[in-house]
Amino acid sequence: MRISMNVKTKLKVSLFSLACLVGTASAETILIKDAQIVTLGAQGTLDSGDLLVRDGQIAQIAEDLGDVPADLVIDGRGKVVTPGLIAPSSELGLTEIGAAASTNDGAIEEQSVGAGFDPVVAFNPRSTLIPFNRAGGLTRAVVLPYSNEKVFAGQGFAIKLTGDFDSVTKPNLVQRAYFGEYGAELAGGSRAMAYAQIANALAQAKEYSENRDQVRRGEWRELDYSVEDLESLQSLLRGEQPLMINADRASDILQLLALANKYQLKLVLVGAAEGWMVADQLAKARVPVVVDVLGNTPDAFEKLGARMDNAALLHDAGVTVAISGPGYAGSHNSYLSRQAAGNAVAYGLPFEEGVRAITANVAQTFGMDAGVLAPGNAAELVLWSGDPLEITSFAELVMIDGKPQSLVNRSTRLRDRYLSPKAGTEHGYKK
Amino acid sequence: MRLFSESVKGFERLCVAVCGGLLVSTLVACGGENKKATDGPDFARQGDFPSTYVPQESAPVLIRGATVLTGTGEKLLNSDVLLKGGKIAKVGKDLKVPKKGLVVEGAGKWVTPGIIDVHSHLGDYPAPSIESSQDGNEMTSPNTAQVWAEHSVWTQDPQFPLALAGGVTTLQILPGSANLFGGRAVTLKNVPGRSVQDMKFPGAPYGLKMACGENPKRVYGGKGTLPSTRMGNVAGYREAWTAAAAYKEKWENFHENGGDEPERDLQLETLAGVLNGDILVHNHCYRGEEMAIMMDIARDYDFQISTFHHAVEAYKVADLLAENNVCAAMWADWWGFKHEAFDMTEANIAIVDQAKACAMIHSDSAVGIQHLNEETAKAMVAGQRAGFHIEPRHAVAWMTSNPAKALGIDEVTGTLEKGKMADVVVWSGNPFSVYSKADKVFIDGVLMYDRTDSARQPHTDFELGILDAEGERLPEGGQQ
Repeated sequence: MRISMNVKTKLKVSLFSLACLVGTASAETILIKDAQIVTLGAQGTLDSGDLLVRDGQIAQIAEDLGDVPADLVIDGRGKVVTPGLIAPSSELGLTEIGAAASTNDGAIEEQSVGAGFDPVVAFNPRSTLIPFNRAGGLTRAVVLPYSNEKVFAGQGFAIKLTGDFDSVTKPNLVQRAYFGEYGAELAGGSRAMAYAQIANALAQAKEYSENRDQVRRGEWRELDYSVEDLESLQSLLRGEQPLMINADRASDILQLLALANKYQLKLVLVGAAEGWMVADQLAKARVPVVVDVLGNTPDAFEKLGARMDNAALLHDAGVTVAISGPGYAGSHNSYLSRQAAGNAVAYGLPFEEGVRAITANVAQTFGMDAGVLAPGNAAELVLWSGDPLEITSFAELVMIDGKPQSLVNRSTRLRDRYLSPKAGTEHGYKK
Repeated sequence: MRLFSESVKGFERLCVAVCGGLLVSTLVACGGENKKATDGPDFARQGDFPSTYVPQESAPVLIRGATVLTGTGEKLLNSDVLLKGGKIAKVGKDLKVPKKGLVVEGAGKWVTPGIIDVHSHLGDYPAPSIESSQDGNEMTSPNTAQVWAEHSVWTQDPQFPLALAGGVTTLQILPGSANLFGGRAVTLKNVPGRSVQDMKFPGAPYGLKMACGENPKRVYGGKGTLPSTRMGNVAGYREAWTAAAAYKEKWENFHENGGDEPERDLQLETLAGVLNGDILVHNHCYRGEEMAIMMDIARDYDFQISTFHHAVEAYKVADLLAENNVCAAMWADWWGFKHEAFDMTEANIAIVDQAKACAMIHSDSAVGIQHLNEETAKAMVAGQRAGFHIEPRHAVAWMTSNPAKALGIDEVTGTLEKGKMADVVVWSGNPFSVYSKADKVFIDGVLMYDRTDSARQPHTDFELGILDAEGERLPEGGQQ
């Protein structure tokens, strides 16, 4: 069933048929009426309000926009609007099936390049992970390489989950690296070596930038890294690109803060299971933290202090908290950052901060122009069936740049094919 | 297939007749009696490492004025649950306050049976995860039916109390899935123990872990031995069952007619225990095709598969599962980590359930096990969105009574019916809300976890002095 829209006619659409909007000529103006609106911006949270989208942007948000003309009016009663979810850490578009090597482009082996590895050209916007995560309310993501050999994994980039071929929004967004137990393993067995490798690479990158011409002409001492790697570290040293690095143990975190201070790096800390123990120092250093809320098991000696209220304690201390999908679920379920945020709220994080941690704080951490609902901003939002952090709520409308996105994905296709499985051949003809 | 249900063959059925509903301690003795009473050889060897778990004496508990999901399909408003002598004594309205004992005010709270996880590796893959503690997968031969998961359990795994705080009262610890036959699984009560016997669920039948698909063929194909393909997997199952059938016959013949005692083979003994109905098959299996093949093998060799685990494609063969009386234990939404997990639908559990097969949630994760109520909630909503009418009073069975069936312990736990073990969770609200928490967890009527009382929150040995020599691993407020 499809709805054809007369742009002159105001159309009231029940949420049931929202999915049908996709694929039709997009409406010029869309009005969501009487929904709770969590703007995370200057307008705060409207218990009941209207949001008007015009030409891909949010035109107005107010308690009552009255009978403002719109091509499409959506009844938002009992529903909640939030900014679209943003995954702070994923491999979306770089992986299809974890254990199928040919479908994975996130890491390299036996290559000289480390920090300079840039997987952005491998990004596949047609990956099945994208429509699935989008149906869960995810509209943007940070996509990261990982590493099996070097402490520097390479360049991460940002995407929108439109599935379009031009959906990379920012290449060379971050540098991904490892410290703590995994960093130690990659560096040959000790954290000290991981630290030394990171520090050494930064020192040599500095040396390189100060003597670029001589190095290139071969008139400088031999450096340990390729020109490609050393070039890629320049934006870190200039403070333009954050270093996204993982550490869980409190003492490891403090070492990274000292390193960042020495080289004037912009850090984004990943993991930080024991972050609550050094929350004041993190706040003072203004280092944002990507937290895996559900990762409360002491499953490594570096995570002995793991706890469910880590996000709340970090927030209380003034740290910017971004929440990722649960580590155990991986990229395929990046949208589950919402469940993680719900748990963070259950364990003390204020509700609005929970929403912020999966939207605005991620945008802020990575310098994205998203995550807040305000007039003039791109209309990138989700209409939820209820409380956006509640496990029983779901996305009824996902909008990117004012366009309602398809919520169909392999999971729903397979569901519809096998709703009542039975013997015979007919299932093979069901689409 | 199930210990306490009619279909059970062998001595466990007798065990129910003798001990069902009686004190737990007599169940152990019952195992001994039954060995004599049974008319066949004892392949299950329930008595070799007998449960030493005895619940503490507990005063009666009255949970008053709560919303109660019974696990039998009912939702009772403003109702009371009385626990007495370690059992569910009564569920109803305005029950009399016991003279001595604990009264739990249930206004705003919800009560469910304790959560049962049929798929866990706690203790076998404990935290912290280090080289020396990887005791869950005997990856040295495609058939290791002779190993028993209980012999790897580290009782001081700090993940047990975390699962308890998530409302898990019973869990099955399985060997890993590297092998066609991984070994025996054991069902535990989630209680502190100095030995694994202190945690063993009295009288619960053993499980046999089997695995389909990618894992065995990857592990052994990589070593240049059979199996390296799915057809190699199936050849491996059939060869083993053929040998087990011969072994069983040999022993039965000896049992009936005497003569030379056959040589004992621990591997075949476990398989023979499946063939005589004493041991339940728990089969890691993702694909619909493979499940259909496994059910044919079971028919051929005359045994029952209890449950397919992971079963990402169970929805494709839900009608076959129902026909063959096989359960499926599933996740809410995990997918894509390997090819056989690619065809995921969030409606999997709901579709299997609506096809009248026995469906349940499972974790296979030390994190997931703490949130099985949330995982069940997601699966319920996916079912509703698929157009099925599924309410919490029904979906609660996916984490309580259905896993009890899968483990063969449904006669004694898994619902709030009178006479069953008082394995009960008092939730701060609707358990299918992300904001609700298990406030109080009772096992056999004993308050094993209380969120508001740090004195009733267990800690394993591992946690003492580990991060703070004098204090707790997590200071005040950090508990779970």
